[in-house]
Amino acid sequence: MTWLAQAARIAGRELRGGLGGFYIFLACLALGVAAIAAVGSVRVSITEGLEREGRNILGGDAEIEWDFRRGSEAERAYLASLGTMSEIYDFRSMAATGEGIEADRALTQVKAVDDLYPLVGAVEIAPDISLDKALAGNGVIVHPVLADRLGLEVGDALWLGTRELTITALLQREPDAGGDGFGLGPRTLVSSAALAGAGLLAEGSLFETKYRLLLPPDTTDEALDVLRAQVEVELEGTGARWRDRRNAAPQVERFVKRIGSFLVLVGLAGLAVGGVGVSAAVRAYLERKTPVIATLKTVGAEGRTIFAAYLMQIGVLAGIGILLGLILGVLIPLAAAPFIEAQLPVPVALGVHPFPLVEAALYGALTALIFTLWPLARTEQVRAASLFRDASGPARGFPRKRYMAALAVAVLVLIGSSAWLSGIPELALYASGGILAALAVLIGAAWGVRVLSRRLARTRLARGNPALRLALGAVGGPGGEATAVVLSLGLGLTVLAAVGQIDANMRAAIDRDLPEVAPSYFFVDIQPNQLETFLDRVQGDPAVSRVDYAPMLGGVVQSIDGTPAREFDHWVTRGDRRISFADTLPPGTRITGGEWWPEGYDGPPQISMAQEEADELGVELGDEIVMNVLGREVAGTVTSFREVDFSSGGIGFVLIFNEAALRGAPHTWLSTVYAEQEAEGQILRDVAGDAPNITAIRVRDAIDLVTEALSALAAATSWGAGATLLTGFVVLIGAAAAGERGRVFEASVLKTVGATRGTILTSFAIRSALLGAAAGVVAILGGAAAGWGVLTLVMEAPYAFEPVSALAIVLGGALATLLAGLAFAWRPLAARPARILRAQD
Amino acid sequence: MVLSLRDVSLSLQGNAGVVDILHDISLEVAAKETVGLVGPSGSGKSSLLMLMGGLERATSGAVEALGHDLTAMDEDALARFRRGHMGVVFQSFHLIPTMTALENVATPLELAGVADAFDRAAAELDAVGLGHRTGHYPAQMSGGEQQRVALARAAAPRPDILLADEPTGNLDQATGAAIMDLLFGLRDRHGATLVLVTHSQELADRCDRTIRLVDGRLDRETRRTAEAAE
Repeated sequence: MTWLAQAARIAGRELRGGLGGFYIFLACLALGVAAIAAVGSVRVSITEGLEREGRNILGGDAEIEWDFRRGSEAERAYLASLGTMSEIYDFRSMAATGEGIEADRALTQVKAVDDLYPLVGAVEIAPDISLDKALAGNGVIVHPVLADRLGLEVGDALWLGTRELTITALLQREPDAGGDGFGLGPRTLVSSAALAGAGLLAEGSLFETKYRLLLPPDTTDEALDVLRAQVEVELEGTGARWRDRRNAAPQVERFVKRIGSFLVLVGLAGLAVGGVGVSAAVRAYLERKTPVIATLKTVGAEGRTIFAAYLMQIGVLAGIGILLGLILGVLIPLAAAPFIEAQLPVPVALGVHPFPLVEAALYGALTALIFTLWPLARTEQVRAASLFRDASGPARGFPRKRYMAALAVAVLVLIGSSAWLSGIPELALYASGGILAALAVLIGAAWGVRVLSRRLARTRLARGNPALRLALGAVGGPGGEATAVVLSLGLGLTVLAAVGQIDANMRAAIDRDLPEVAPSYFFVDIQPNQLETFLDRVQGDPAVSRVDYAPMLGGVVQSIDGTPAREFDHWVTRGDRRISFADTLPPGTRITGGEWWPEGYDGPPQISMAQEEADELGVELGDEIVMNVLGREVAGTVTSFREVDFSSGGIGFVLIFNEAALRGAPHTWLSTVYAEQEAEGQILRDVAGDAPNITAIRVRDAIDLVTEALSALAAATSWGAGATLLTGFVVLIGAAAAGERGRVFEASVLKTVGATRGTILTSFAIRSALLGAAAGVVAILGGAAAGWGVLTLVMEAPYAFEPVSALAIVLGGALATLLAGLAFAWRPLAARPARILRAQD
Repeated sequence: MVLSLRDVSLSLQGNAGVVDILHDISLEVAAKETVGLVGPSGSGKSSLLMLMGGLERATSGAVEALGHDLTAMDEDALARFRRGHMGVVFQSFHLIPTMTALENVATPLELAGVADAFDRAAAELDAVGLGHRTGHYPAQMSGGEQQRVALARAAAPRPDILLADEPTGNLDQATGAAIMDLLFGLRDRHGATLVLVTHSQELADRCDRTIRLVDGRLDRETRRTAEAAE
């Protein structure tokens, strides 16, 4: 292995030259690695935080939850026998400043607790009094946002339902907020006792009851598993849902995991962009080194020695780049810690985590290898004779087979590890395929632009227009920067365009589609005896265009056609479902199979089911579905299928029974009211004034909440795409800087033969704009394809091309190259021809 | 006079401080005259040629070409002036690598607004014996061929003044001789004034006048006798 030792010695001597000429190489690699390391570190910090703090976030060791009902006495007794038990109600309601139609009202998420709450952690309130004191009697604690919204302060009265309460404190921190999931309004905390008789927790109302358990301190995870199995057997078919400290905040965890993995994929795209810069830097370096390589060959160095010597040099440099990236990747989350912590409902301890750093380093090393192997392999093809001829860079053509094989292996390892480590293999494979396809298309586009430019340069159009022909010649001629610029900028812009298309499509879906068909209000918890008054008020209003209403109650699917519900993995068979009953076919309903029961039907129970869910569960006409409705088993036969469009925002039930089957069961009514926006406020005041227990959910507010969540998602993704684009811009600057020498020379020659600075500058600008536009056009196509893929394949949403964001991308691309090109045009324009041209003699 | 230099000095900022390249040079070149600039390396002959072409700016003194004061012109005015009046040939050819031979030759014609730039460029390449290589890039041609393209580019706009900086310096003797024949042939055909920097006494002897520079100063001027001319 002396040749390896020789190679190491050669590499060592060559490296004494320092890092000059490698700043772009280092920046490209460091940026990509830093982005991935930072995203991974934040992700791991959050998930580790969730694991560590699981008990606090959940507010206990385990939690059993029911929808629409309280646990029965037997169920409560059973749960209380397992450990210390605390009971919590969670529901939406209207908080009001008073009674009657004069009062101001706002939607709030109420948590009604017992004396034991919280089992773990502490509620922080202002003023700093004890929780017991704050919740004693009619005391209520509200979130500052709710107090602001209603213009209330500590000491003021607040009405929930028919109950007048007094605000005793403002909520600063709720220990179990992270586990509560998505709320539609700010929090109100009150004791369950204070709400007794407020008319809010009537049978059939929409509320959740949670039973938190505190187990002995030595309860292991295994013991938890055993307990879970016991509880699930004991409470089977009651609709009870189990959660424990190990998955305290599943929504947050899922969200963080998803967005984190997605951002790592965006980061990989960034690394690919950086790879283009890495490749260009290595290529330029090796071209400069051609005489050295030829000399080494002249004095007897073998091809493999030279390949190894330069691979080692690039390896050392890549190591430095990766190290810089890892340092940045550790520092960025620490610097951004206050911001990130403020955005999350769960405690996060941002720190140094080895796993994401190893992952980022692996991706960085593989990317560096993939993008440098090709030019490095070409060093073997440099001939000693090139010293004696006009050496115009290393040989062209394909490297030897073993290098091509190594390249293929490195690509496969990178794709495989990203699929494995990201935890979303399918998306990772799509993304890798997308990046490879984008690279291939961009290489093709760069080639196409060059050929087209060469052709155009020779047409009549270009003749007589020297600035244009010079630009076309430079783009199409040999040794140009076309490929590097189109690749780096194109890939960066493709990622940005894809994010833009996805974001614009999702926003458009909300802005354009929803308000047209969505109602103004959802009114829930309308008691049967309140329905008539309610309908009188809304149906008689000329500003109301449509009122839909339906009875609603909770039920748990027990079995479908004899198969127990637990054997289906579907949301319909998990926990409580909201079901309805009707005698006649609700207006606007389309039957897709079977027949609706005759009016006044009073025979054995029949069920009309949503077609899509029936297909997913394999339900056929004639199948029997057994449901537990508030403790009573009801078996019904599926006699029809309906089309239910949940995206329209209207009333939609998967399961509707015939009226006679459920009429006697406790239920409430749900109503959607379509009204002119100006009339919405008065309708709310009137309805709530009459019946304070009715909760009104303003659809516009709900949409705003979704839009807000979407904006946060889009912002996170934009940061990822921004990092990719920044890398692209660094590569672009690198390409422009690398081309500067050539442009200085060109400008000098052109000045000598009579070109003015204006002509030269115009030519440079046209050249940059051409390349930018080519990259932009590919980015639009690539972005549209990626947007289509993500929306239709992953999100199962319709896709429409969004031209505004696409156009902005192309213009941005052209502008970016133009600016980078012009930034490096100053020196060529200012240079005195004599000095440049004589320096080369 | 086609070229007139009065008390011209040139100092350049080098790494080790200001370097004086030329000192108080005064000389005139008449129409259609051929002048050879000779002298040891570093004597300032190429710098003097660059001053005549407006490619370098004098530190002091006046440089006039065809009655125009080059020292008063800005970069663009100088470029426009060269377009119609000057052709320059360099030792390293200085063709634009991203352009074919034809495009390289056509460029000054296009810049001068010549309508049939490409036809004339093709004819010019034909005249230097490269009619068959119009579509080739510089990297695809030998040094001699590249210099012939450079000659064609310099001569194509029919300049009043041809400036050549060691045009055979990078070529072998036979190729160099052929290039010089071409250069003098072009000059004779178009009747241009030729100023030539050379290390070759043989070449210098083909000029009407030889000016020798030493340490940035005019050292000696020799006129060719009538007998030698014959």
